[in-house]
Amino acid sequence: MTGPVPRLLRVLREEPAPSRFARRLGSGGAAGELRAAEVRTLQVNVGKRCNQACRHCHVDASPTRTEVMPDDVLDACLDVLERHPGLATLDVTGGAPELHPRFRELVARARGLGRAVIVRHNLTVQFEPGHAGLPAFFAAHGCEVVCSLPHYTEDATDRQRGRGVYDKSVEGLRRLNAAGYGRGGGLVLTLVANPVGAFLPPKQEDLERDTREYLAARHGVGFDRLITITNMPIARFGDWLRRVGRHDEYMQRLEAAYNEATLDGLMCRSLLSVEWNGRLHDCDFNQMLEMGLAHGLPQRVHGLDVRALAGREILVGDHCFGCTAGAGSSCGGAIA
Amino acid sequence: MTAYFDDKDLAHFGDLKRHNPELWAMFERYYAAAFEPGLLTKREKVLIGFAVAQASQCPYCIDSYTQQALEQGMTMQHLAEAMHAAASLKAGITLAHGLVAHNVDKKVSM
Repeated sequence: MTGPVPRLLRVLREEPAPSRFARRLGSGGAAGELRAAEVRTLQVNVGKRCNQACRHCHVDASPTRTEVMPDDVLDACLDVLERHPGLATLDVTGGAPELHPRFRELVARARGLGRAVIVRHNLTVQFEPGHAGLPAFFAAHGCEVVCSLPHYTEDATDRQRGRGVYDKSVEGLRRLNAAGYGRGGGLVLTLVANPVGAFLPPKQEDLERDTREYLAARHGVGFDRLITITNMPIARFGDWLRRVGRHDEYMQRLEAAYNEATLDGLMCRSLLSVEWNGRLHDCDFNQMLEMGLAHGLPQRVHGLDVRALAGREILVGDHCFGCTAGAGSSCGGAIA
Repeated sequence: MTAYFDDKDLAHFGDLKRHNPELWAMFERYYAAAFEPGLLTKREKVLIGFAVAQASQCPYCIDSYTQQALEQGMTMQHLAEAMHAAASLKAGITLAHGLVAHNVDKKVSM
């Protein structure tokens, strides 16, 4: 039998074509693969609710989002942490994770298990009702606070995060400094900068130096380190790229800047991402694309044996060029 | 109507190579070497490139060096300072050429 129907069936039966990124990992046009090492960080996205709606947000987070991690998922995350001492770090993100009703309990219990805790903090949530005590809470539990500040200038930051955000952010930094953060001691305050547009971030150490000088001179505030993150061509930032007709050009920029030296340090190789509903992903970006883990692997956090994920195949797509461009990009900043 | 300057042309700059590959290769090596960090940082050289592009009114170079400056962590505030520095120098250069008129006037006038 010939004709369009059998041809369609044949196409449907075939494996999907490998992404350009997968082919870049391979050689001679064949797809290559990326494999994880041991999982050392459990990154928990407790929900998409945020007091801000930033223009680059890969989570599409905003005050109107209703996705919040339910109790059974949060308990399952704590259970996984408790059963796996090799998970050295809990990385809490969102949305604004502090808006989750059990945020403080999650942090305190993870610290009680002896794990390092990183909180992805947007600075302005400190000014939401009931959250003024966050700097003191972070300090009391020895969290590393990773704060969003796309650029040290007001204009650039406000264009991305909303009018007035810069001033609030500086005040938030001041309050963290007053609680002991960013003074070179044990309380680590990290700034995260990302480009305010469709271009790659600057060299991390250069921007750290400029930001340190500017914030100290203008505002008298300090921090311990600055990391740069490349904007991911997905979700709200991806929509913006398409709207202004720059999506293809940005993808070409990322692809042209592909740097093989970033592969060993990619966050997906040592991190496991948990979605608000308990679904597992290789990273927060795959989570937003609802990719899950590779076929045959556990897909939910409930009762998870993390050891089953060591050496797993990582699912990749063209968005992965965002993490391998230039000096690379990860939750910990530049890689190479 | 066809435009003389099209931003898509920038990607075809290298097409000029075919007319004289040897000289083009020399130009490419020279250009790359001149923009390598030395006593001046990459960022300083990018700013020089931007200011020269502005003063020379080259839309291709302004496009390229604006994007490079953004990737060096600079913003339009930085570039505005650079373009005013370039513009004020151009103003000074224009005025300085007035010395020629000034000197000619001294020579020929009573």
